[in-house]
Amino acid sequence: MIAVRRIAGKLGGLLLTLFLASVLVFFSRFLVPDDPVAFLLRGRKPSPEAVAQITAQYGLDLPPWQQYLIWVAGLLQGDLGRSLQYRQDVTVVLGERLPVTLGLVVMAGTMIAVVGLIAGAIAALHRGRLADRSILIGLTVLGAIPSFVGSIVLIAVFAVQLGWFPSFGSGEGFWDTVYHLVLPSIALAIVFVVLVGKVTRSSMIDQLDREHVEVAISRGIKRGTVIRRHVFRNAVGPILTVSGMLVAGLLVASSIVEAAFGLAGIGSLLVQSVDRLDFPVVQAIVLLVVTAFVLVNAVIDVLEPWIDPRSAAGAGAR
Amino acid sequence: MIRTRRTARRLLAVAGFGVAGALVLSACSADTSSPDATAAPDWEYTAQTAAPSGDIDSFSWVSYSEPYSLDYAYAFDYADNQVLSNVCESLLRLNPDYTLSPGLAEAFEHPTPETWVYTIRDGVTFHDGTPLTAADVVASMSRHLDPQVGSSWYSVYQNVAAIEQTGDRQVTVTMNQADSQFNLAMGGSAGVVESAATLAEKGADYGNSSGLVNCTGPFELSEWQSGESVTLTRYDGYWDESLRAKAGEVEILFMTDANARVNALKSGEVDGSWMIPTDAIAQLQSSGKGDMYFGLNTAVGSLIVSNLEGPLGDERVRKALTMAMDRQGILDAAAKGYGEVTDVLTTESVWVGASDAAMKEAFDGLEEYPYDVEAAKKLIDEAGVAGEEIVIATAPISNDFAVISQGAAAAAQSIGLEATIETVSPSAYTALFSDPTAREGIDLFYTSWYLSSPDPLEMYGVLRTDEFSNYGNWSDPEFDALVNEAVAIDDPAARSEVTAQAQRIANEQLPWLPLFQGPMTLFLGDRVTGVAPSVAFLYYPWAATIGSR
Repeated sequence: MIAVRRIAGKLGGLLLTLFLASVLVFFSRFLVPDDPVAFLLRGRKPSPEAVAQITAQYGLDLPPWQQYLIWVAGLLQGDLGRSLQYRQDVTVVLGERLPVTLGLVVMAGTMIAVVGLIAGAIAALHRGRLADRSILIGLTVLGAIPSFVGSIVLIAVFAVQLGWFPSFGSGEGFWDTVYHLVLPSIALAIVFVVLVGKVTRSSMIDQLDREHVEVAISRGIKRGTVIRRHVFRNAVGPILTVSGMLVAGLLVASSIVEAAFGLAGIGSLLVQSVDRLDFPVVQAIVLLVVTAFVLVNAVIDVLEPWIDPRSAAGAGAR
Repeated sequence: MIRTRRTARRLLAVAGFGVAGALVLSACSADTSSPDATAAPDWEYTAQTAAPSGDIDSFSWVSYSEPYSLDYAYAFDYADNQVLSNVCESLLRLNPDYTLSPGLAEAFEHPTPETWVYTIRDGVTFHDGTPLTAADVVASMSRHLDPQVGSSWYSVYQNVAAIEQTGDRQVTVTMNQADSQFNLAMGGSAGVVESAATLAEKGADYGNSSGLVNCTGPFELSEWQSGESVTLTRYDGYWDESLRAKAGEVEILFMTDANARVNALKSGEVDGSWMIPTDAIAQLQSSGKGDMYFGLNTAVGSLIVSNLEGPLGDERVRKALTMAMDRQGILDAAAKGYGEVTDVLTTESVWVGASDAAMKEAFDGLEEYPYDVEAAKKLIDEAGVAGEEIVIATAPISNDFAVISQGAAAAAQSIGLEATIETVSPSAYTALFSDPTAREGIDLFYTSWYLSSPDPLEMYGVLRTDEFSNYGNWSDPEFDALVNEAVAIDDPAARSEVTAQAQRIANEQLPWLPLFQGPMTLFLGDRVTGVAPSVAFLYYPWAATIGSR
């Protein structure tokens, strides 16, 4: 019962968040002083009637609230409007590019999770020793490499010099796509590994210092069992929370990596669309990222008590 | 006919990490050539690369940007036109040497100053196999007049009164006034012919990545993978045997990042590209993966004077500022020295059909503006504007925008003006070219302006009083009268003599400050050859002539 009410409450909050996000996303475009129609003209000389027609075709002549209602009504029917720059439905434009970004985020996310967890766990278990120190230094160095520098170095070394990987494009078919996305995923993962690694380390150290762990070890229970059952399982909460926040970060940071590797994903599309004042596309992508972020965090919220029963019962149950 | 922010567009993506990228790359790659930064680069014009040894199954190309649209009515930029020129054909054909020859119109007549009569070629088919008819021509041209379409090429059609089929294979265009420029523009996108049935069937999706197009060119547009590439396939039913495509397939990839583009060429993953960033030329030349070529161009880099109310309203101040700029130094820094300083707004390449007398008038004994700060200071004192402020707009588009705005600001300071650089976003910079409110408070901004018809009048038509792209509202009655007179003259030689006089006035009064002109650049990988390195690639089916090396 509690769980159901909890999920219903979460759902209500989620819908409210999405509604507020849609308002913010839509109306923020009116803060931009530039006129999309002037931009659409791209410097060419129009006939005066044509300007009026173009303005009307994209509904730009209506008052903002009316434009918002039309937009939301469209959203609910799966219609995201029409891209100004591509003269095409936004759903088509996004549909063609979403798979690339998802592939990139999933691969990078996997690398981050695997490398971050392993590095963090090793460091925690060797606290203060050489392994710990070298992992910390290594992570810090990696975290200081911006995605664009990572991209450039990876391309220069592995694509141009060694020729092991392609320097651009997203490939065709599953394995070719994976092959094409290896370097971009690494470039994207580098910065975020440090976060997961450090959170894993401190979270596990936190648990290792707990009384019940010390007690368990002193009672002669195998170290491996203690670490698996008590330390790691209890340390997962903070790691999950950080991972949830990473999702939005990955989606946004992918724009840089996508541009460097010539990938047609939504990140590079967002940057391009902002510059070209293609508001329907910008609004759709921003809303998509917000939705993904909110959803992932809601799912983590719901899952957390299953993994760590203490968080459901509240801190008092410690 | 305004092309200019295409330069903006082209270089846009370079902005992000162009500079940092170049540094890291040159450190990582085995680039042994370190050319002296001040020495002029060694280059020469090429009219045509070596003939191909034969056909090739396929080759790949890279473009700095995805086309906005492949609807000829909106194809108004390098990215759009370099693809479309291979797929769609116009009534006339603009050749690599910038001459016009018959295209889908096998002949044209000019019975009265106000009428143009086109005879439509027989035996031409669209890519879907249907034959080309006069009705297709009427439908295609009429779209430019339809406000629902909002064609980018409306200015070509602004004097058109009627477009009618007047015979089985004949189309007559009636103008409100004599306009020699209309026919000249029929070699570009304004003269493209599409199947009327396809236009009706595709509707709003015509020319986008799912609607595609159905034209008559040597290649068929077979696929457009949004954001990534377009694929062109040889059209076996193509009418002109001399331009039958040598490649079975061409893939044109889009890479907004300049480093990504250069890497793809250096690693041999892509066979060629137009418009190589000048700072990558040396790297590519030493890559061993192909050759750099330099060809005919029509673009002139200049500073547009967009406010004549301020100090630049005084002709002496415009002259002084031009003289205070070390234009050779700016060219060296902005374009690695590829090009030459110029005092006029057209290149000789667009003076097709000009008389010798016109060329003399247009280019000999021009007013020169040598780098002379002392003389410039004197002019400023005479004008009495010392201490007044000018605002120079720039955008983080590429290195040359930064170099030129800083060079102009430093020059203004050196002669006693106050100069402020206002940095705006690339899109806001684009808006400077179409939105008068965006130009408020801006005195100067840079452009690289190219012409797409073989006539210098295209440039000077823009500077008439009240023209859309006369950004500073510069006005000179004598100049207007000359340009209007020239527009009505059909004979290119006679017209060129009047245009030359207009060029002299612009050279003396500097409504825009000319800086330099540079060659069109081309990189060809070691698998392919057979193309003319000319800016005509925007309208000429350049990919059709490329074959195996």
